[in-house]
Amino acid sequence: MINLNQRLSEKKNFFNRLLFVYIFFGILFLYLIYKTFTLQVSSYSDYELASLENKTREFLIQPRRGIIYDRNGEIIVNNIPSYNLIANPAGLDDIDSLILDIQKIIELSDSEIKTINDNFPSKKRLNRELILKKDLTPKEIAQFEVRSYKFPELQIAVRYSRVNLFPYIFSHSIGYIGNLSEEELEEILISQNQRPKESIFSYSNGFITGKTGIENVYDKKLRGKFGKKTYEVNASGRILKEIETIPPINGEDIFTSLDIKSQNVAFNQLDSRRGAVVAVKIDDGAIVTYVSSPSFSVNKIANGLSKKEFNDLILNEDKLFFDRAAQGRYSPASTIKPAIGLYGLKKKLIDWNFTIKDPGFFVLPEDGRIYRGWKKGGHGEINLQDAIIESSNTFFFSLAYQTEIEDLREHLSYFGFGKNICKDCFMPDIGLLPSPEWKMNTHNFGWYKGDTVNMGVGQGYINATPLQLAYYSAFLATKGRLNNFSFVQDSKDHKKDTFISENINLNDWAKIHESMVGVIENPRGTAGRLRPLKDYIVAAKSGTVELVSTETKEDYQIIREIEGQRDHAIIIAFGPMPNPEYAVSVVIENGESGGSVAGPVAIAVLNSLIKE
Amino acid sequence: MNKLKLIIRNKIYFDQYLFISITLLSIMGLVFLYSASQGNIETTIKQSVFVIFGLVLMFLVSQPDPDFFKNNSLFFLICSMILIFLTLIFGKEVNGAKRWLDLGFFTLQTSEIIKITLPVFLAAYLYDKSLPINLLNTFVALTLIFTIVNLVRIQPDLGTSIVILIAGLYILFLAGLSWRFIGVSFGLFVLSLPLIWNNFLEPFQRQRILTLLDPTSDPYGSGWNITQSKIAIGSGGIQGKGYQMGSQAHLDFLPETETDFIFSVIAEEFGFIGVCILLAIFFFILLRCLYLALNARDRFCRLTIGGLSLLFLSTIFINLSMVIGIIPVVGMPLPFISKGGSSLLSFYISFGIIISMATHKKLIQR
Repeated sequence: MINLNQRLSEKKNFFNRLLFVYIFFGILFLYLIYKTFTLQVSSYSDYELASLENKTREFLIQPRRGIIYDRNGEIIVNNIPSYNLIANPAGLDDIDSLILDIQKIIELSDSEIKTINDNFPSKKRLNRELILKKDLTPKEIAQFEVRSYKFPELQIAVRYSRVNLFPYIFSHSIGYIGNLSEEELEEILISQNQRPKESIFSYSNGFITGKTGIENVYDKKLRGKFGKKTYEVNASGRILKEIETIPPINGEDIFTSLDIKSQNVAFNQLDSRRGAVVAVKIDDGAIVTYVSSPSFSVNKIANGLSKKEFNDLILNEDKLFFDRAAQGRYSPASTIKPAIGLYGLKKKLIDWNFTIKDPGFFVLPEDGRIYRGWKKGGHGEINLQDAIIESSNTFFFSLAYQTEIEDLREHLSYFGFGKNICKDCFMPDIGLLPSPEWKMNTHNFGWYKGDTVNMGVGQGYINATPLQLAYYSAFLATKGRLNNFSFVQDSKDHKKDTFISENINLNDWAKIHESMVGVIENPRGTAGRLRPLKDYIVAAKSGTVELVSTETKEDYQIIREIEGQRDHAIIIAFGPMPNPEYAVSVVIENGESGGSVAGPVAIAVLNSLIKE
Repeated sequence: MNKLKLIIRNKIYFDQYLFISITLLSIMGLVFLYSASQGNIETTIKQSVFVIFGLVLMFLVSQPDPDFFKNNSLFFLICSMILIFLTLIFGKEVNGAKRWLDLGFFTLQTSEIIKITLPVFLAAYLYDKSLPINLLNTFVALTLIFTIVNLVRIQPDLGTSIVILIAGLYILFLAGLSWRFIGVSFGLFVLSLPLIWNNFLEPFQRQRILTLLDPTSDPYGSGWNITQSKIAIGSGGIQGKGYQMGSQAHLDFLPETETDFIFSVIAEEFGFIGVCILLAIFFFILLRCLYLALNARDRFCRLTIGGLSLLFLSTIFINLSMVIGIIPVVGMPLPFISKGGSSLLSFYISFGIIISMATHKKLIQR
């Protein structure tokens, strides 16, 4: 028999050790339960979200951009559907034999076949659609449809292209679309409470955005809101079923104030010459005509160009992309004279009976420097009205001589010089209304009296865009009550930005109009040859921008051998008088004569706007 | 009637507490497995057959007197070692591991057998030795343990070899291994860790340990299993997503849902409440084993019940720690719940032995 005490002590020892292990594991189990509690209760929301993100995949659905209309409700830019052949790769195993089968019906290029082969494996794995061919022709569609029963995995689906129905005449006004960068996309998506993810495209060229013109300025309105489709997916990313669809909201349509007919007229009149035409409806400042020439096809830009085509476009010496209407800087030349005349009247420096003797030049008293007019021998004894009609330089040299530059600048800025006068133009240049500080900073020279004298005839440092000249024209037409310009008809925004120059009385305005009518109607007017081109009265002021200063006509004949040295032709006009509706500005680079070269373009545009 | 009951009680060896709780656990396991296998009826029926067979086996194993196990323990150990050797030579190779013997009707994982026969043999070996265990016996026992552990480890089957090691050491510990010896061994083990790291661990095992330390370092690579398991458990919340509603399990995010990671499925679908109920049943079984061990009739029974119940406890603990992300991923099933043949049956056999040890009484206890 074994000793009872020994047996009891062994049992006690065993009991202690077993209990020790149980307590040890008991503590570990409590820790496990604590960890489980942490996962399931304390951090539940984190893991709940992680689980949800695991099992769902969201796709953005691209909205369609708004349609852009002209002022008569005619479509300018539309989304044109094209038909694509699309495969559901889940049911496909042998892509090569499928390609062979398709080629019997629809031609596939080598690059198309390569794209298909490149995309097939991943699309199949992820159960996503595979585009086999874009832009099917009606014939190809018909050929496929009759045999579609042979291809249960294939379907024809619509993808859109953004198409400008008038690809050349609206290139600078409406602009074009292009691809969106990752950063821009992210910014847009964040603004719509979305995150970047895979997308179901509505456009065959993917994410697009307005790059220039109205497409850019109104991009936010046009682009619409992305929709979202949520699928349940498994661990390998395979789509199992659709959970939810939030449809996209297509972009808002834009009803512009542009007029297709007058655009066409302006475009054809410019006839690929370098220049610009801007015309506005003066009661609300709506831009109806906006052409920069020469132009390019926005559809080609938007939907893909070869490298060579692109290089040809950007290297073209006429700078096709350059928007001359809003960014071209031209001296206003003689077109500025009515504004200078109004300054003289406002400041009571002159009245309508005031005359000077014009010998054909002005001598600056300070240094005897001579400023010439365009007419040899001068215009004789001349008052303000005749000085406008005949475009006497001497009259305005001597008037400008009496002005203070700061006063004159303030006066001219009312007319739109040196500032942005458009609410929705794409990157408008503000031209240059020079000041003594500007000259000191830029040229490191002080302001001379001669600089002010030159400004009196719109030469020298001052310059303006055709858009600003159109504003100036409309400002004269409305006698100083004018809205800022806009491309969009917006009846709600009809109050006028009035900064009427109180000191100019209505009689003076009327006489200015009368003088400008005389530019065409008076036998001595500089634009007399426009008279037979219309059957209503038009007020105008022509200008000729000297690019190279010459003493005599003979000298000019020498420099005009080089086309780029010829004078620019400018005209501003408004009509029909006495109650003008439209104002227009025309600039033709190296066109030489404002009256006879730019003038007919302006009249043709006014005709197309007024005669209907 | 009463007479019949009395006869049954005297002739039939049966512990209703363990039998009911294990049956309950097995039925719950089938319910869980049906969901974890994504409604695979074939898998579930096959498992049902194993469960029924296992319960019968448990009942049958509990009938012989403990002396039968004690007297034949060496024979059982030698048989299971022969099976291990056969596995090394003729074993069926799956994923680079030779762990199975193909018997035609059944593929036997031989390490699951030696997992039981080793502790039983050690308990029998120590039955008549003077306790606390002396140095010579310790040395003999440790040599045997490490030989067998290494045979299993080279299959390779790290998980089972760890469990066998633990089971063997439990017996020695319960037999009164001196604390000083334990302290010195532990010190040596810690010192040899760098050696083990460099020489005994496969690269993928090292990666698993590194992944455990920072699962976010590679969430789609080696950290995938732990990350997805945590998401499954965490997203279950208090009440769970509902039976067969676990997206982590049903959309293939969770790996090995039928075996190693079945606890994650349970936690996802039944939440913290379900986890607590499951653990409560495990806990009840363990407490019952503790009670039986303390009341066992002799040293052999005590050591065997203690060793086998701790084997069961360690398996549960390793499995749970793994799916919660406390220890590296090692292949380890959740007893009575995970899909399996050999591993499942081995637990029914263990509990059959435990019941046998607990129910056969002697008038005079040793």
